[in-house]
Amino acid sequence: MLDVKGLSFSIGNQPILSDVSFSVKEGEVIGLIGPNGSGKTTLFNVLSGFLNQTSGSITYKESDITNLSPYKRAHMGIGRVFQNFGIFREMTLEENVQVALEALPKNQKRELGDLKKVVKETLEIAGLQDSAKKKASSLSGGQMRLLEIARTLKSGNNLFLLDEPTAGVSPKMTNQIADMISTLKKDGKTVLIIEHDLPFIGKICDRVIVLDVGHIVLSDTPQNVKQSKELQEIYFGADPTT
Amino acid sequence: MQLVINAFIAGSLAALIAGGLAFVYGILGVFNLALGQIALIGGYTTWWLYQVHSVPLPVSIICGMAFGALVSWLIFEVFINPFYKRHRFLPLVTTIALSMILDAVILMVFRERPRSILPGVKEQISGFGITISPVQIVMICTTLVFLFLLAYFLHSTSFGRKIRAVTQNDIAASSLGIRSGLMHRIIFIISGVLAAAGGIYIGIDTSLTPVLAFSLTIKAYAAIIAGGKGNIWGAILCAYLISLLEQFAIGVHWFGTFYISAGYQQTVALLVIILFLLWKPNGLFVSSSRKA
Repeated sequence: MLDVKGLSFSIGNQPILSDVSFSVKEGEVIGLIGPNGSGKTTLFNVLSGFLNQTSGSITYKESDITNLSPYKRAHMGIGRVFQNFGIFREMTLEENVQVALEALPKNQKRELGDLKKVVKETLEIAGLQDSAKKKASSLSGGQMRLLEIARTLKSGNNLFLLDEPTAGVSPKMTNQIADMISTLKKDGKTVLIIEHDLPFIGKICDRVIVLDVGHIVLSDTPQNVKQSKELQEIYFGADPTT
Repeated sequence: MQLVINAFIAGSLAALIAGGLAFVYGILGVFNLALGQIALIGGYTTWWLYQVHSVPLPVSIICGMAFGALVSWLIFEVFINPFYKRHRFLPLVTTIALSMILDAVILMVFRERPRSILPGVKEQISGFGITISPVQIVMICTTLVFLFLLAYFLHSTSFGRKIRAVTQNDIAASSLGIRSGLMHRIIFIISGVLAAAGGIYIGIDTSLTPVLAFSLTIKAYAAIIAGGKGNIWGAILCAYLISLLEQFAIGVHWFGTFYISAGYQQTVALLVIILFLLWKPNGLFVSSSRKA
């Protein structure tokens, strides 16, 4: 479904991503981990078109999307949840969902049918149906996260790029987010998640990719990655067994 | 009461220009310092068509607003779009330079002589202690209708919601499939229409002179700083409030001993900018949000 080949990105002479290559199959849930500054969010920004790669290519559903603008990638079904909340704070919760549905290509909008009904369903998924008329700025960080994930989920996407969905979220809401991602998995959707919460990643991911200073250092099952020396070295600075 | 009516007349003009400026600031976080000149271009175009070429007034007004929109779009393409992503202060420099160029061009083409779209003595209506001309009533009402239509467009149409989304979170809007580049252009065009409408307003109510642009821009800035940067409705309301303050400043017999000269009227806008930047830099209507 997604093929990334030799992707590099630099700021001036400083490389942020270096020759990153990986493939994602349809329906896979992949965790992307690595220390701060390893290039995880940059990779998401390049995949969703907000940054232009220095070299390399991105193929999505057998189409070359390397040079497509972000809105065109969104129309192809690539949904993004941002680390710093991608919501519209001065709009009501209802409007936050409505505007996302209205931005869909015409054929997808037709398939959804009654948009008002979909808006209601989306807010129910996030458990925010009672606050539909409130401004998004009145929500807590966790609620904003739930609203954003539910909105992305209902926008007819096939590939989801979730950037630290559980950051600053209570354990109860983390479970809600895990349930949402499990639903996506059941529906055959493909998910890439950036996370620092390793138990969370272990619980929901099929595969984990470890990134360090812009390179992929490991790509394996969550169990194998958890036990690997590379991960210990990257996160804790040394192999704890030595 | 007359002061309030005068404030409404002056405020309607300022509201149009401040609304456009707030829009542009809200979306790109940049100031367009040539907006006062766009207002004059709209006004002078209408004057030129109506007075020089005898084009019917409604057609002249529409052409004036359309030309203001065109100039605003060109400003975006040439003086703002290539620069704002590199640094948000660059358009400040480019639009200051542009405002100087446009001032010179306006002066060269239209000369310093005052130009009135509707010259001559205007009929006045008096009653309940106030005096107002029918033209002023029409202009106040037209501005209110204009702002009402803008509110409807922004809050009750799909297109308006997309514009508000881009204004509030450009990147998130793009990630949802909204063409933010197109929306930026549309916002500049709307701000050009609003500014040109303001210029036409001046040309009908009083007269146009090439030196007006700077004072129009400063008053609009005072309104958007007081209203909360990027908050279009806050800016519009504050444009009316600043006009009211201006009218009180020059219209009240202070302590029964002196009047402030009308020449100091513009100082009110400058004082508002200074006071707000010192004590309430986020403006009156910036919404608070939860921290967690």
